[in-house]
This record gives sequence, structure tokens and C-alpha cells, in this order.
Amino acid sequence: MQQLLERIAAEAEDWTELRFQARQTRTLTVRNGLLESSTSVRLKGVGARVLALGVFGFASTTDLTERGIRAAVAAARSAARTSAAAKRDRVDRLANASLARGVFPVDTRDPLDAHPLEEKLALALETEAHVRAASAKIVSAAATYDEIQDEKILVTSDGASAHIFDSKPSFRVLAVARDSGDQSLGYDTVGVTGGWSDLFAARTTDELVDHAVRLAVDPLSAPQPEGGTVPVVLDPELVGLLCHEAIGHTVEADIVLGGAVTADKIGQRVASELVTMCDSGLSPYDLHAVGTLPVDDEGVVTGRTVLIERGVLRSYLHNRETAAHYGVAPTGNARAFVYSDNPIIRMRNTYIEPGEQEVGALFAGIRRGYYLKGFAMSGQADSNAEFMFGVREARRIVDGHVGQLVRGATISGNAFRVLESVDAVGNDFAWEKGAGACGKGQAAKVDSGGPHIRCTLTIGGRQE
Amino acid sequence: MSQSILDLCRSGVRAALRFGATDAEVYGQSAETTSATIEKHDLLMAKTQQETAFGIRAFVGSRLGFASTNDVADLERACREAVVLAQASPADPGNVLPNTQTIAPVDGLYDPAVEQYTTDRVVEKAIEMLRIAESVDRRVVLGDAEFASKRSERAVANTRALAASERTTLFLYSALATAKDGDRVSNMDYQFGATRSVGEIDVEPIVRRASQNALDSLGAEPCGSSFRGPIVLSPQAVEALLVGLILYQVNARNAVRRQSRWGDALGRKVAAPSLTLVDDGRRAGGVAASAFDREGTPHAPVTILERGVVVSLLHNAYSAAALSQPNTAHAVGSAQTVPAIGPTNLAILPGSASKDDLIAEIRQGLLVTRFSGNVDPVSGDFSGVAKGAQLIADGRLERPVSGTLIAGNVFECLETLSGVSQEEETIVSLTLPYVRVEGISVTAA
Repeated sequence: MQQLLERIAAEAEDWTELRFQARQTRTLTVRNGLLESSTSVRLKGVGARVLALGVFGFASTTDLTERGIRAAVAAARSAARTSAAAKRDRVDRLANASLARGVFPVDTRDPLDAHPLEEKLALALETEAHVRAASAKIVSAAATYDEIQDEKILVTSDGASAHIFDSKPSFRVLAVARDSGDQSLGYDTVGVTGGWSDLFAARTTDELVDHAVRLAVDPLSAPQPEGGTVPVVLDPELVGLLCHEAIGHTVEADIVLGGAVTADKIGQRVASELVTMCDSGLSPYDLHAVGTLPVDDEGVVTGRTVLIERGVLRSYLHNRETAAHYGVAPTGNARAFVYSDNPIIRMRNTYIEPGEQEVGALFAGIRRGYYLKGFAMSGQADSNAEFMFGVREARRIVDGHVGQLVRGATISGNAFRVLESVDAVGNDFAWEKGAGACGKGQAAKVDSGGPHIRCTLTIGGRQE
Repeated sequence: MSQSILDLCRSGVRAALRFGATDAEVYGQSAETTSATIEKHDLLMAKTQQETAFGIRAFVGSRLGFASTNDVADLERACREAVVLAQASPADPGNVLPNTQTIAPVDGLYDPAVEQYTTDRVVEKAIEMLRIAESVDRRVVLGDAEFASKRSERAVANTRALAASERTTLFLYSALATAKDGDRVSNMDYQFGATRSVGEIDVEPIVRRASQNALDSLGAEPCGSSFRGPIVLSPQAVEALLVGLILYQVNARNAVRRQSRWGDALGRKVAAPSLTLVDDGRRAGGVAASAFDREGTPHAPVTILERGVVVSLLHNAYSAAALSQPNTAHAVGSAQTVPAIGPTNLAILPGSASKDDLIAEIRQGLLVTRFSGNVDPVSGDFSGVAKGAQLIADGRLERPVSGTLIAGNVFECLETLSGVSQEEETIVSLTLPYVRVEGISVTAA
């Protein structure tokens, strides 16, 4: 396949990118003692992108014969040429980059295929049973094992030719508790880029069960928070979420060009000088972060991009088109989820670098506030950096001590104002290593993380 | 493809039986999609996609395995894999195929005019959306918009003598607009439209609505003071705040999972009498209309809530068997997923008051155009940001407000719901009115 793609790309009249992808997904879900689903999904196809007359055209096909792939290239070229008359801001050129050549294997000593289906099923059955046995208040439980394994061949007419393998397993535990007609949901997830033992090195299934059950049972008797703007300590998961969702999207160069709040702010102070924020295709501090990728889907070799350095905005996230527009090097952020998606600018592993404070010291300065941990499934951020996130676990801080749990907390505000309010950064670090994906018209497996931080933001709650 | 999708489904069923299945179902789909995308107020690109996929459910007694492939040449292997997965699975008596029924076709699902709907016409429509946004106001930026033309064929065959197929067309369009005035940037607003017929394509209403909502939120200031009171929800906010939780509760699979509060609520009042919710998979002109569901059961109209009382849950074959209730033909999903449960053309029936009447009766409250927040489907607690919100004072819209949080409990909202408007909007397959709910905590940022 690689030789065929190289030949077709070499013969193309216009700049052409060809991406073959074979994906194998397996999912096992056990719920309330029964196997709810055991599925295997295989996808194979080629995505062709052509730059002609200053416009991209894209076509995908599942016909993997030479004729089928050539037809997709012709369709992409035709789509580009059809669009050319209507395009206002044409793509003059693509930025030069270090284009990948060679084979890029999965970084693991314990590949998923070395573990049979029976072993994975037994673990899901056993884990789900542990959830039900953990408390008499649990009325429903589930455990899901999920794996995505990809093989990609990426070829461009200007020299990339990479054979890339990827492996992303994840595990989820869910618990629903009921008491006196009141119901509550708890869950925990773990996901990595790597193999079987890498997955459970991050969090064991026992830890997932304990956490999910506690999150389901404890809020049953908890009050809701009082709404207002207060000092808080955010855990690494929420710090990562803030980095990714509320800041990260506003520095994706396509969003910047669309009028994001970060436009024209390179070199300006946008956060407290305690804040240094990066996005990386590597996995610093701790291996196997979910968004790790050696090469992006334009063939650019990835690395670490410093977005905010000691409070000053230094860079956006680029593909080869936006890098040329801004006159900088591509950052390796062009990603496509499946062969039928065209590559767009996406984050990888996004994080705030650790600071110098002991984590315990962050709480000491707060008379009345909240300790906020984890993300509760839904949230949204605008290109003006205004965000809203549900919080999975919120506890009151009174005179420096973490105390009572509250339920249903939501945080909101402007992410840059929140980062300006950061007055302490912990010396710890953790990736979220969750099972979810980022959505931007297409999915992307990403990770985010950081240390604990102390800042000020608005909590939604009850008004009497 | 030399064989039809239905023929391939039939041959897959035969293969699964050969490999040891006692029952089998193969669902196939093929689609060709052409789309043009607007980004940053400019045409981004045109795109064509061609895809075919098959999903095989193999039953070995009451053990079930599922495999999917998008490669016709791989179909036999996938059938064998589904059987192997079933053999390795524990038994579940709920794993059954639906009873096969006669399927009456639904008119108007396929418009042959799609065959002349070429890439340049798709690009023209996207450009038309750009021009409309510009004509509304020069401050409007169409940040993201798409026009897509899709023609599909789907088929399902099983060992209970089911063999059904249908062709459909779908034209989908979406617009995400913001407004910029100097340094002031509005909230974004997004709207969707869809039709199955070339003659009914009309992108103008959604682009105008997204543009106007963005303009209306320009200059929004914080709410000022926090209070507890009534809010009026736009149809889009009704979808985000109320419909998702209602669908979670009436999804019979969640009743089987013991995660629904309404699992045993048939005949019980759960909402105010002004709330009636219906679903009709055969509704003429409905973009989710089709003759049969993902398992091949023929669609039929269903009343879910009638004057606030639970009349029916939504079922597929699994939940109907597990709960001994009628199968309502709400199996949904693609060839790459096992059948789940979901609505088709869903509607909250309109009320008798106008939207202005709902507002006129409020001394202090909020009109919420879009809700961006978290609704816990289990507890019903919600909290989030009221987007594109307007403060209501003494029965009138006073001014746009920003950064305002709303919180409460959806189960309580449904019981205290105090008004449903005559006006309704169609959001792709949902038809929803404005709704007023009481006792919401409104927190000024």
C-alpha cells in the first residue's frame, strides 16, 4: 500500500496527501451482571486531500484498489477546482516542515493483542461485580473496556512517507446509587496511549471502583453549593480541562483566524506569571498520555509547543497552512480521526507546567472556598474563552481545611481572567488519562493535565 | 458494487448460520455525501465521502456477539467473528430478534433530484449562506457553516424472514455566527436545518436566526443581582435542558439498567398537564422519518407523555422483551453500533399562550436562548450558563446579560412548568415550543 500511495502522490499534478488507515475497535460492556455488548468494528479506507488553485479539496473512499484511490484523488482535485472561484483567501503555500519518513511503532512492551478476549471480558465482569458489592445503595453498575488500534500510512507529494501504529485502550466504571428516592451517578475512567499493562499502571480497576462508588454514594445526602465568585483549588484534571477546553481551543490557529479572543495577543501578558502552558505530541512527566502521537496527519514530526510562557502568550497551534500564514514553523497539530476526516488543527497533550508550592500549602490561604476535582461530563467554551464546566467532586474549604461535599457544582467564567487570578501553583503533576475524546466536527483522543492550582472563579448554585 | 446492500445482508445472515449462529441479523448501509464548509467567513473546502458498512449481530442461543466492517470483501470474516464473540459471551435472555411485521413504505424519503445535485451546487449553497449573513449585518461573522447533500441506502435482513431496504436523501445545513463590534465580541449562536427534498432546501431562516441571536447578545452586561425566579427557555434551550433528561428517563434500556426514575412510572404524573410529548417515525416531512427502525420493526406514532402522565417508554426488541412491554420501534444506530434506543421525529405539543404572554407575566426573570451546562440525568440537578440571555423586568425584555448562571433540578422544573408557547421551532428532527419554568436560581457572575 505504501508504494502504491507513493507512486500516486508522485504522479499528482497538484500537492497531494494520501492517508490509508485501518482501524480495529473492540468494546466490552458489562452491566448489572450481564454482558451488554461485545463488539468488534473494523474500518479501512483512504482519505485524499489535494491543494489546487489555492483551495483544498478532500475525498475519501473504501475502494482500496489503485483505480479506487486514483478516483478519490480525482474527486478531491475536482472539489478543490470547483471551489476556487468562490474562495476569497487562497492558500498560497504550505509551510516547510520536518516531514516524517519511516516506521513509527507503538511505545509499549505489552501489546493489546497479546491479551485474549477472555481475559478482557473476565476483568470487565469481575470489576462490575465489585461495584455492585461495594455498597447496598448501588442500584446499577457497569464496566466497559474499549480499545482502538490504528495502522496509518501517510504520504505527501512533497516527501512525507510514514507508517504509523497507534494503540489506545481505556476502561470505564459507572455506579448509580439510590437512597430514599434520591439517585446519584458516579464514574471513573482511565485511558492511555500504550498497551495493556500501561493502562492499569495509571489507575487499577480497584481504584476506579472505589472512586466511582464514592462519587455515587456520598452526594446522596449532600447540599448544593451557594452560587458566587470564590477562591478555589483546582485538581490536575480540572486544570487540564481549563487548559484544553477554555484556553487551548482559543489558540488553535484556525479558531484564532476566525476571531478568537487571542488574535493579535502574541507577546502580551494573558495570565499570571506563575503560569506556563504547553501542548505536546510527547508525554512529559509521565508516560502514555492519551494524546501522544509521533507524527501528525500532515506528516509533521511532533514536539512540545510552549503556548504561554510565564504568563505571556508565545504561540498558537498550527497546521502547515496556518504556519505559512503566520510565517512560523508548523507545530504538528493537524489531526484526522478516521480516514474519511480531513486533517484539522487539534490539541494533543495540553498542560500547565508544575510550580514550586507544596500542594497542602494551596489550601492554607483560603478562608472560605472550594476544592474542585474532576470533570462532570458536560461543558463548553466559546472562542472568547468564556467557559462552563460541571464539576465531578466539590468540597468546601473552611479556614484552610477541606470539608463538606456539595453536589451539582458548575464553574464558569473567562478562562484568561481565571489564569490571571492564579496565585499559587503546586509542585505536583498528573495527566487526566481519561477515556473521553475532544469533539470539533470530528473526534480526537487528547489528554490534559497539570499541577494543583489556586485561583478565583464563579460557582453556580442555589439562590434562596 | 455488483450486489445490492440487501443481497449482501442476506448472504451475511446465511454465513453467520454456517459459522454456528442460531439466529442472526445483518444491517447494511451505504452513503455518498458531498459537503462544503464555511470557516472564518470564507469557503474552506468541498468534500466528498463514499462509505459502505455492515453490522452483524450473531446469536448463539441467548448469547450475542457483534462485528462490523466497511469492506464488502471482509463480510464473511466479520460474520465469523460475530459468532466467535457470541460463543465467548455469557447468556442474556433479553437477546432476541424482534417479531417480523409487514413494513409499509413511507413516501417522500428519496428525492431523485439529488442525483443532479453536483458539488458546484453544494458549494453555491454554502456561499449563499455567507451572503445571507452579510446581508443581515456587517458585524456578523459566519465562523462555521456547512451545507451537505447525502444519499443513502440501508437494509436489514435476519433469520426471522425479515428483508427490508430503503433509500433516503438528506440535505443538512448548519450555521454558527458571532458578531463583532470593535472590541466587543458576542456569544456564538448556532442553528441547524434539514430536509429530504431539494425543493424544500431553505438555508435563509437558520442563517438569519443565528446572525440575529449573535447580534442581540452584543453588549451584554452582567446580570447585576442574583435571584430565584421564573425563566423562559427558547426551543434550543428546551432541548438542552429538558429534552435530554426526558429522553434518558423514557429510554427503556435505562429502565432495564435501573437508571431511570420513570422505569415503573407508566400511568403516573411526572410533569405539569401542559406537557405532552409525542414521537412519530412516519411523520410526513420529518427528517427522521423512515419505514423501519435499526432492527427492521415498522415505525408508528407514539405518545410518550400525555398531559404530564407517562404513557409509553421508548423500546427496542431487547427492552421490550426484558420489560414485557410493546416494542415501539425505537432501535437506532448505524452499522457500526449495536442497536440502541432513541427518538425519531420528537415534538412537545404547543400550548395556547404566546411567547410574549409567557414573558408578560414575569416580574423578574430571564429569557434563555441557549443553555450551556451540565444536566445530571440521574439526579436531575442542572447548572450552567444562560447564553444569549435577556433579563426580564416587569413583563418586558430589559437588556442582554452575560456570564449568568442558572441552576435547579429538571424533575422539579417539569412539575412546576407554568407555560408552553404557541410558537414552535423545528430543530432538525425536534419540534419544540418556548417553555416557562419556575423557581430557578439565577446567579450573577
